[in-house]
Amino acid sequence: MASNIPAASAVLWNPSADEHDPISARTYGFWLYLIGDALLFCGVFASYAVLDNPVNAAGGPLTAQVINAPHGLLQTFIILASVLAYSLGTVSLKTGNQAGVRLGIIAALLLGAAFLYISGSDLLALAAQGDGPTRSAFLSVFFTLLLTHGLHMVFGILWMLVMLVQVSVLGFTKDVVGRLLNLRLFWQFQATMWVCVYFYVYLLGGSR
Amino acid sequence: MSSHYNPLEHPEVQQGTTGRYIAAFLASAALMGGAYYASTQKLPFVEFVTMAAGLSLAALVSQLVLFFGLNVSQAQIWKGIALFLAVPLFIITIGMTVWAFSSLYARTMPMDGMVMSGQPTLLQ
Repeated sequence: MASNIPAASAVLWNPSADEHDPISARTYGFWLYLIGDALLFCGVFASYAVLDNPVNAAGGPLTAQVINAPHGLLQTFIILASVLAYSLGTVSLKTGNQAGVRLGIIAALLLGAAFLYISGSDLLALAAQGDGPTRSAFLSVFFTLLLTHGLHMVFGILWMLVMLVQVSVLGFTKDVVGRLLNLRLFWQFQATMWVCVYFYVYLLGGSR
Repeated sequence: MSSHYNPLEHPEVQQGTTGRYIAAFLASAALMGGAYYASTQKLPFVEFVTMAAGLSLAALVSQLVLFFGLNVSQAQIWKGIALFLAVPLFIITIGMTVWAFSSLYARTMPMDGMVMSGQPTLLQ
């Protein structure tokens, strides 16, 4: 049977077509992952709301007795400064400035480590005085929430170390740039989640 | 897009600006600092929660717009739509769990300790 389709448009693969855009695809895919990650945090927040009462404290402390709101505020400023540093590093990416990108990553990494140090010190002090995660259901979910966020921060810092090497060795290839952009999303997401933790635990929980 | 495009010219790379990121930092820090200040003012509980929630929500929105760069441009709109569609899931996940357990606790848990403590909890 004769076809009415012109020969030129019958080609299934067109080598001159626009190239697939991997940076947009990866960035959007990573954004969808972050939304899924936010749902994980929602599950922990829901558990926190359910277990934050005297029955589940089993005679132990509740939020107001275990949090340090000024420390939490300091952590808020530190994590926001860390996100700012990384984001400014990606502004240097626009002009291909490797030194600027590296400086932004290193500053973000150090501020992230300072955030983890404060968080870790507070949790270790609690555990040392007998109010560890096994003390009560409430303390279990309290540690789970803070450690879930802290673990994200640890992986973000590890990712930064990897990117420092990749930027130096590989330069700004398409893959490296895509990873730097996804790390920016990931790091900004940590500050967003911390704002939720700070409001829900330190401000709301601490006010009761 | 050409076959061998420069990744540094990609819209995702070019969207960020120094001014926007500094504005995001200042806005978020000021709003969260304000929420902390409200917590030190011995306000009535409901008034404090309303104020702190409003300030925190404003901080989140400032981060979404200024840090993440969400907007209605062709390059960003689908991120915004994905988030918009996910927000009800966030609310359902937390809201339904709290509602279900508050009903369960009212029927099954020894709540004397909660009443005697005089502390309102998130479930109340």
